[in-house]
Parts: sequence; C-alpha cells; structure tokens
Amino acid sequence: MISGTRPLRLRPPAFLGARLPLAIGLGVILFWVLAALTVQFWPLDPPLDMVGRRLKPPSAEHWLGTDALGRDVLSRTLHGARFSIPIAVVVVAAAVALGGFLGAIAGFFGGLLGAAIMRLVDVTLAFPPILLAMAVAASLGPGLENAAIAMIVVWWPLYARLVRAQVLEVREREHVEAAVAAGAGPMRVLLRHVLPLCWTPVLVNATMDFGQVVLLAASLSFIGLGATPPTPEWGAMISDGAKYFYHWWIAFGPGMAILIVVLGFNFAGDGLRDLLDPRTE
Amino acid sequence: MQPGLRFSPAAGPALAALALLGLGAGLPGPAAAQDDTIVIARDNDFNTLDPSRSWCDSCQIYLTAVYDQLVRVGADNETLEPRIASGWTISEDGTRYTFTLDPDAVFSDGSPVEAKDVAFSLLRLKNLKAGASFLADGIAAIDAVDARTVAVTLTAPDPEFLGKVSSPYGAIINADLAAEHGATAGADAAETDRGEEWLLENSAGSGAYVLESYRPDDELRLAANPNYWRAAPDASAIVIREVEDAVSQMQALQSGAVDIAMQVDADTAATVSAPDVVTELVPSFNFVYVALSPGAKALEVELTRELREAVALAIDYEGVLEFTTGGAANLIASPIPPGFPGTKGLPMPKQDLARAKALLAEAGQPDGFTLIAAYPEINIYGVDLSIMMQKVQQDLAGIGVEVQLEPVTFPVWRERVGGDHIPLTAVYFAPDYYGSGQYAGYFGMIPGAGWYGRAGGDEVPGLKNAAMMALMEEVRTASPEAAVDLYHRMALEMISDRVIIPLVNPSLVLAYRKGISGMRYAVCCNLPLEELVKE
Repeated sequence: MISGTRPLRLRPPAFLGARLPLAIGLGVILFWVLAALTVQFWPLDPPLDMVGRRLKPPSAEHWLGTDALGRDVLSRTLHGARFSIPIAVVVVAAAVALGGFLGAIAGFFGGLLGAAIMRLVDVTLAFPPILLAMAVAASLGPGLENAAIAMIVVWWPLYARLVRAQVLEVREREHVEAAVAAGAGPMRVLLRHVLPLCWTPVLVNATMDFGQVVLLAASLSFIGLGATPPTPEWGAMISDGAKYFYHWWIAFGPGMAILIVVLGFNFAGDGLRDLLDPRTE
Repeated sequence: MQPGLRFSPAAGPALAALALLGLGAGLPGPAAAQDDTIVIARDNDFNTLDPSRSWCDSCQIYLTAVYDQLVRVGADNETLEPRIASGWTISEDGTRYTFTLDPDAVFSDGSPVEAKDVAFSLLRLKNLKAGASFLADGIAAIDAVDARTVAVTLTAPDPEFLGKVSSPYGAIINADLAAEHGATAGADAAETDRGEEWLLENSAGSGAYVLESYRPDDELRLAANPNYWRAAPDASAIVIREVEDAVSQMQALQSGAVDIAMQVDADTAATVSAPDVVTELVPSFNFVYVALSPGAKALEVELTRELREAVALAIDYEGVLEFTTGGAANLIASPIPPGFPGTKGLPMPKQDLARAKALLAEAGQPDGFTLIAAYPEINIYGVDLSIMMQKVQQDLAGIGVEVQLEPVTFPVWRERVGGDHIPLTAVYFAPDYYGSGQYAGYFGMIPGAGWYGRAGGDEVPGLKNAAMMALMEEVRTASPEAAVDLYHRMALEMISDRVIIPLVNPSLVLAYRKGISGMRYAVCCNLPLEELVKE
C-alpha cells in the first residue's frame, strides 16, 4: 500500500472464502487482458470516429451513448483497456524489477550501499505518491509513456522495502546458513536460496498494485498529465465527461471500467494471499 | 435531460471523479445571494486590476464598472456616447482630438475629473508598454488646455482613435491618488511605476462601483460608489465569485448561491431546466480560431501558402460548429467578426477536400504531413478547445495531414506561441471596442501585428502582406464610408493569408436567476455591471 493515499481497497466478504473471489478476480482480469489484446477485432464502432449524433444517451444503437464528438462510449471504454492494462503491466513489472533488485541488494548485503538505497526509498516515500507522480509527469510533459515513467518512480520504493524486509528475514534461516557453510557464493545464495522464498508477498502486492496503477494512470490523465486527446484512455474520458456533467453516460463507461478493473485485481490479490499465505490477513 | 433520470446524471461523473481524486466539488454554499447584492459566478482571467496593465476579458468587466472612459460604446454596440467627455472636436487633418470634460464628473473620493487625470491615464497606458498599450501607441502628446479641456495629439490620423479610448483600458484614473501610491506616467513609467500593488487593493475611478476587496481565485467584491456622478446603480454591491467550470457555475445558479453564471455553455444550458433560472442565447462578436505558423521551429515541411490553404479547405466548418456548441454558433469568414465594418458579403469558409488534396499534390506533399498542435486546454465562450481540436484533427486526417494534439496550460501556451511558435494552434479573441482596425492590427501579416510575430513573419520570406500594409495606411485618412470598403479588402487579405482560420463565432449564453434584469452582451466589456438590476 502506498502511504498517504486512501486506496480503493474493496475486499471480498469473508464467507466467500479464498477461491470464489480469486475466480471472480481472475475472470475480470482475463476479460480485460483479452480486451487489451484483441479489442481491435471486436465488432465495435471505431473508437476515434464520429459514428453518431453527439451527446446521445444510451440506446440500442450505442449502449453507453455517444460523447461530445459523437463517438461511441462503449467502444472507447473497451478500447481503453489497450492503454490502461499494458501501462499497469509495464509499471508494475518495472517497479518489481527495479525495486526488487535494489531491495534484495540492500537486504542481503546491507552496509553503506544498503543504507544509501533505503534512504533513497525513504525520501521517495516521503512524498505523497500522487504529488510525486504529478511533479514527475509534469516535468516530462503529457503523454502515457511519461506518465508510466512517473509511476515507476513512485512505485519502485514500495517493492524495495518489501523485498528487503523479506530478504532480511529469509537470510537468517538455517538453509541459508547451510548454503553459506557449504561454500556457496553470495550471489548464488541470494538468487537460489533467498529470493525464491520472497516472491509470495511480492506477487500478492503486485496483483493488487495493478489496480492502483490503473487508477493512478487514470488520475494523471484526468488532470491532463497522461493521455493526450483523442486517446480513449479512461481518465481522459472521465475528464471529458466532467465537462459534460449533465450527460452522465460519457463518464459512466470509463468510471465503471476503472471500478471493475480495480475490484478485479483486488479480489484476485486477496484471493492469492489467502491461498498462498494463509497466515497473513 | 429526462425528468426520470435526475439522480443518475450526477452519479456517473461524480463517482468517477471521486474515485479518481477523492475530491468533492468545492461549490459555494447556498443562500449567498442576499438582499440587493448581485453575485456572479465566473472563471476569471484577471492578470491585474491596474487599469493600464490589465489585459483580459474579466478586466474589461471590472474596468467598465469601476472606471469611466472618455467615451463609451452605447447599447447598440456601435455608437460612441459621451462619458467623461461631454463633447469632442477633431482637427481637419485628423491628428488632434479636443475633449471637453463633463463638469459633473467626479471620482469616488469626490474630487473632480480633470484634464490632468486624462493625460496621466492615457500616457500611463501608453508608457507602461503592457498588454493594452498598443491602443495608446498613436498618442504623441496630451495637453491640458484647462482643467476641463484636454487635447490629444496623434502621430498620424487614426479614424479609430475614439474607439480605442472607449475601450475599457482607456479608464481614467484619479491621477493625484494614484501618484500618491507610486503610479507614474512618464516615458520611463515601465521602469518607475509602482502603482500596481495599491491598485490591486483599491480603485481610483469615477465609475458606478468601487473596489471593496479582491482575493485572487476567490472573489472580487464591488460596492456602489457613493459619489457616483451619473444615475446610481441599482445593486448596492456586486460580488464576482470564482467558479471554474460551466457545470459548477450552473449548479451554483440552480442552488441560488449566485444570481448570474457567466460562462455556461450552450450544451449545459440546453440540458438544464430549472424554474428560477433563465437562459438565453445572444449573438456575440467573440470568436475562436486556429492559426498556422509558417515560422514554427517544429515544422517538418515548409508551410507555404498553398499548404495553409489546403489545411483551411480540409476543415468541415459546419461540423465544427455542431460539435463544439451543438450549433449555437455562426460561421465566421474572416478575423473581423460579422457585424463589424467591412464584413458584409465576405465569402464564408467551406470544406473542399478535392481542392485541398490537389493543393497538397501540387505542393509535392500528396501524402500529407504532420503538424504539432499545442493549444491552451480551456473552455472559452462555451467552446472546449480540446473538442474543437479533435474535430480539426479528424478533418485534417481526411487529406492525410496528421495532427498531434498537445493540450497545455495557458501560461505554457503563451510561452510557446511567442517563443518557438506553434505549427498549429487554437485560441480566442474578444473585441476591445467597436472598430475593425483592432483586428487588422492584430491578425494582419504586417510588421508589429501580434500574429505576424507569432507566425514568424520576420523569418519567413513572403509572409509579409504588402497589400495589407498599403490598406492600413490608406484607411488612416479615409472617410468612414471608404473605410468600410478598405476593411472589407483587409478581411479578404487576411483570409488569403491563411494564417488565421476563424472557426466558431459562438452565441453567448446569458444564464441568470429570474428577477435579474439588465443582462446583455456588450462589445466593450461582455457584461456592463452598472446596468444590472435585482428585483
């Protein structure tokens, strides 16, 4: 979890157990990943073309209505997955790789290098994430690539801290001592005997963070620091919808998309955690 | 809006916006509009309240409510009427204007308005070299003949001089009071003047209202001038409250928190029906345009006149009106808006894709090219520039010209358009007085004109329009009738330059609560506050 925010962390009711939320979450994720990969081939109106009269409410022809430029909101919402899902994958992957690497180094070797890395983590985490992301995105200029860079800057310290904590704990275990006693080199110990035992919390966190990244990317686009027009990115679409407040359907589609995606990843993350690591709750 | 759907309209965007930023709408509380105070919701663009330094739409409103000018344009939006000057004479060669000041005219502190005040104010406007200083550039000297007579000598005849002093920026300031607080008007005023700070907190005018308080991004509060020398205004106070967007303004109006919403767009007006709220569409002289800059550094091709023509012909003008305002706007032929001298019979722009493609092919660009389009991300006169530019982007794609949209903040836009220039951009213009010369002097491809610089006129061979320059010179000494024909020809020249491509002449939405009267669009100043009445 990022400090300083109130994350949209909707949790499945306990009586559902772990498997049903996991199944729902994975189903939602599968749908959006499929959309991100294949939406161009779905029988939808083109997302950038004016296909109907402007500002028309939902109808049989346009299920989620049309926006101020007569574009089909449903089509644009589904095409939004092409931007939001890959950006979430890229940001989380980069944050895990960068944060995980630095965290492992800091945790395993410690010393001056470890202290330096962790102070950098502290400094980065001292900023409210949305502010830091805005500052970085604003200095790089609008565009989804720049928004992604800004979010990686915000996110990596979380994984550095998480992995370091795991490494600190695992490296004291007996099998690690045994490996060291058997003459294994430090990198071999780290890669073969320590890191493989650290991946569970990383996986659970990463799954939940996909949803948070989608949300932050949309937030950046909403305030004009992410996608540029006419990209059908969800945050940008909601920003358009806010200008036409009385035409509720323009923001409804992308708003629901964000809600469903965040919910899906949270369900999946919670389910995974209950499954893989029943001790933590 | 369907009556049965009242709940859901708010739900979609509100939920989404809350989910995104966790913010609630910062609307002003209800019941703020009490007694005879008139509360106005407006997204202000004040750069300052100093009359001689200000340059913005909100400034026009303020400067006509708090200050008086020598003359003021009348309710017909055309005829000049006496204000501080009860009469004036013009020398035969058109270079000397002698104004007789109204003996009743007094400032809000009770002191009489005298010739020295006029001289101080107009010279300060000129010498501060600020946004509106070009209006006073032609002044060579101002002589106080006596306390109630002032003579202005021009460097060359200017048939629009009276129009220029009628603009809000021709505000007459209480010279003694302003000088006491650091204001100067001499040739070195740009360096020596220290009056702005005081003028941001105080007013020194003779208008219907005085400044009570100003808090940027919050509210501007005006109180009736107790010493007003003309018929006292109806409202004892006017509050202009900062409300950013059209939707928030409309909600404030519906809730009764404000009496007037100034920037409601036609789409919002059309969807909202409330028994206490009146919305009407009135024609305006304001317009929104796109501009091509052949001097922009980010151009990948040389933006010749033929290519600019091709771009202009690729735009679906009727479609732009529909998509930006739902049709609550008019086409506009030239950078001189319809209704101004010389605009009768101008050819309206039309889409001609075949001709546009032919021009591209002739220019050796049959497959089109890429244009970077940075524009301020604002909604102005009900036109959302982002929506408009996406429509332009689609239209230009029709001839293979790819437009890369870059919405930016206004300050960033200002810096880029003046610095490296922007290949394709969009912005707006509202008149300062009734007269076509202001448009020729701002949009014409003549050295010194605002857009000549932004288009890179000095660096691009062939951009300077010699015919335009000759017409500008000729109009100086022309009779009013001949001037109409000359302005018509200037409009044609500006159309043929294809640097400024006007797109939308939007109707203005007047949105106010029942019981408010005196609402009208004024060419000088958008909304004349002194005419407002609250029942």
